[in-house]
Amino acid sequence: MTNTIDTSIYAAITEAIQGEARRILSEGHVSAVVGYAAARRKGSAQPVVITDAVRAEELIFSAACVNNLAVYLTKAKKEIPKTGKIGIVVKGCDLKALVGLMGESQLKREELYLIGVPCAGVLASTAQPAQELTGDTIAPKCRECDAHLPQECDFVPDRQPATPELAGKYRAEIARLEAMTPAERWAYWKEQFKKCIKCYACRQVCPFCFCEQCLCDRNKPQMVETTPRPAGNTAWHIVRAMHLAGRCAGCAECERVCPMDIPLNLLNRKMAKELKELYDYEAGFQVREKGPLAMYDEKDDQSFIK
Amino acid sequence: MHHKEKHAFEPKIIAFVCTWCTYAGADLAGTSRLQYPANVRVLKFPCTGRIDPVFILKAFQQGADGVLVSGCHPGDCHYIAGNFHARRRFAAFRKLLEFVGVDLGRLQFSWVSAAEGGKWVEMVTDLTERVRGMGPMQEFKELALEEQWSGAIDTPELQEAYDSI
Repeated sequence: MTNTIDTSIYAAITEAIQGEARRILSEGHVSAVVGYAAARRKGSAQPVVITDAVRAEELIFSAACVNNLAVYLTKAKKEIPKTGKIGIVVKGCDLKALVGLMGESQLKREELYLIGVPCAGVLASTAQPAQELTGDTIAPKCRECDAHLPQECDFVPDRQPATPELAGKYRAEIARLEAMTPAERWAYWKEQFKKCIKCYACRQVCPFCFCEQCLCDRNKPQMVETTPRPAGNTAWHIVRAMHLAGRCAGCAECERVCPMDIPLNLLNRKMAKELKELYDYEAGFQVREKGPLAMYDEKDDQSFIK
Repeated sequence: MHHKEKHAFEPKIIAFVCTWCTYAGADLAGTSRLQYPANVRVLKFPCTGRIDPVFILKAFQQGADGVLVSGCHPGDCHYIAGNFHARRRFAAFRKLLEFVGVDLGRLQFSWVSAAEGGKWVEMVTDLTERVRGMGPMQEFKELALEEQWSGAIDTPELQEAYDSI
């Protein structure tokens, strides 16, 4: 399956983003724009913060713009001088993270100027940034994307993304694992978690891991072993998935940055699926004050409690 | 007289209980001279809402063969809704544990009120016998015994990545 995905609109989107960034910066609507710029290797992209309208021409959008920029507005936001609104370039999936952060009072809608991107998909790996976007090279999250066109942004380039019909990888993988016996699943995850080197890249890149002190870094009492050994790894990944349950927007950044190729988003997608089934909750489409695990219903299922 | 049975395997059961209901219920069982297996170690919490899923993980890692989480019946919470929140959290946590391959037979949730000394005995006996039948919980203990990550390239994906360097 090497069907090419049409990314011809990305050039026009780049132009529209540049124009809008130039306008809002020069008219003083925002103090900065967080977006993507070309990086040193041909075809690659990197996050950039622009505060001067003349630099707006640096902004780009391409299939190599894989980062979720929402992360720059949480952990680092204290260092961003509060001089006014911040403009940010968002794909549909990244917008879901911002929406979740607004619900958790980490961001205010009125502090942001959202530049939405109609997106047909991005690359799974930017190891070869200049490669073509096809059914094989597209990021797994894009295969199951339900937010090609971001909603309720302040500005969206007038383009329709080509939305390819692709088989969902996570859905298939979850079904495959669910069909296994507990022992087989344990063996599978043991192999996966064994690879973990505890670099915590998954945590650092996650917009929802914004705790000032992570539970997993505490040592009095130590809840989760910090060693890069199988016991601590397994505990870390279970805790991580639990803390993201009902919050994860599915941007799959954790999985993308994992140097050991652990299918982390698989756990997140599984939890999202379960919370949808249990409490009919889907993260990321509307700003909600409380996630499914921060509220309750007296009629909740309790068939598992004796 | 009670007939005392010797078992080859004595399961360790950790019970996380709420101080207002289940702890008082277990106390009632004691003061009522009800007999139940001595396999259970009780840890008292202010509320089931205080019981973090990591406590359960930690219990398994430290050698528990079974875990019981027990608190007040819905509507009876000393803090109004702690048990309702716990109910959702544990419903989700069970799904996650199941997905990573933990047999949920080792994990029991229950509502035991301060008046239900008999139910406490029943819960502990049931879980102890069930876990005894399942045998020792090996998975987490095996993990703890495993050596430090060796850097061995033991998956096809890693091998492929290594070869392409």
